[in-house]
Amino acid sequence: MNSLLVMLGGAVGAMLRYALGLILMKRFPHPPIPIAMLFVNIIGSVGLGLFLGVLFSKGVNLDIYEEPLFLLVGLGFFGAFTTFSTFSVESMQLLKDGKTKKACIYVLFSISFSIAFFAIGFWFTSSFL
Amino acid sequence: MKKIHILTFLAIGCGGAIGTLFRYTINIQTLSLLFPLGTLLENLVGSLLLGFLTGWIVNMKLNEIIKTGLGVGFCGGFTTMSTLAADVYSLFIRPSPFLVTLYIGTSIFGGIALAFLGFILGKHISLYYRNTKKEGEME
Repeated sequence: MNSLLVMLGGAVGAMLRYALGLILMKRFPHPPIPIAMLFVNIIGSVGLGLFLGVLFSKGVNLDIYEEPLFLLVGLGFFGAFTTFSTFSVESMQLLKDGKTKKACIYVLFSISFSIAFFAIGFWFTSSFL
Repeated sequence: MKKIHILTFLAIGCGGAIGTLFRYTINIQTLSLLFPLGTLLENLVGSLLLGFLTGWIVNMKLNEIIKTGLGVGFCGGFTTMSTLAADVYSLFIRPSPFLVTLYIGTSIFGGIALAFLGFILGKHISLYYRNTKKEGEME
């Protein structure tokens, strides 16, 4: 049952990531840095923060891996909606093409914004709910 | 055209489901550790795989549906940025600057290095594969 929940969340998350990526790439065809996955990762991180804040304020604290809603939404959906492999490959390609400055900006933005927006999301729902 | 789109989405859904299941399976094996080793390993291995796939298609044609299913679906679903963010946050809460630095550093530098290694491997192996296939066709 748990496996089915993570698979369902993962399938929807991955498809939505692709759809949003296509929309973003259509709107910004020539971005200076790979903006599509940057946005996706930030949105997914703030989403996971908001979601975990709700979960924790409802008293789900220990054994989060036994919580079906976490498996479906947190681990499954937001886990698969965001991605690390594309981040690594896009950074690698910028470095390979000699675009060192852009690569550094992309890495710095991806990691720091994802963490910061997760923290903002978590703080928001865990302190106001 | 529209049919291909639906199949592409289905492939991404399947790949994402399997990738996420793998991620979940590894995560529950490493839950007892204080350090998020599971997510770190998944992100590193996923970067290597996507790097390989990116290198492979430099020399070999790959069906669009298989390509997106493996790359966007499987590798994308297997790796995650949101859990990394959550891990870093929780490592901050339990104050351990060393572990935070180790986790972020290994993820970023390891991920990019493995993506590069995967790319080089994929490019060379696919070239070798293409050449041996050509020789086979000539004989």
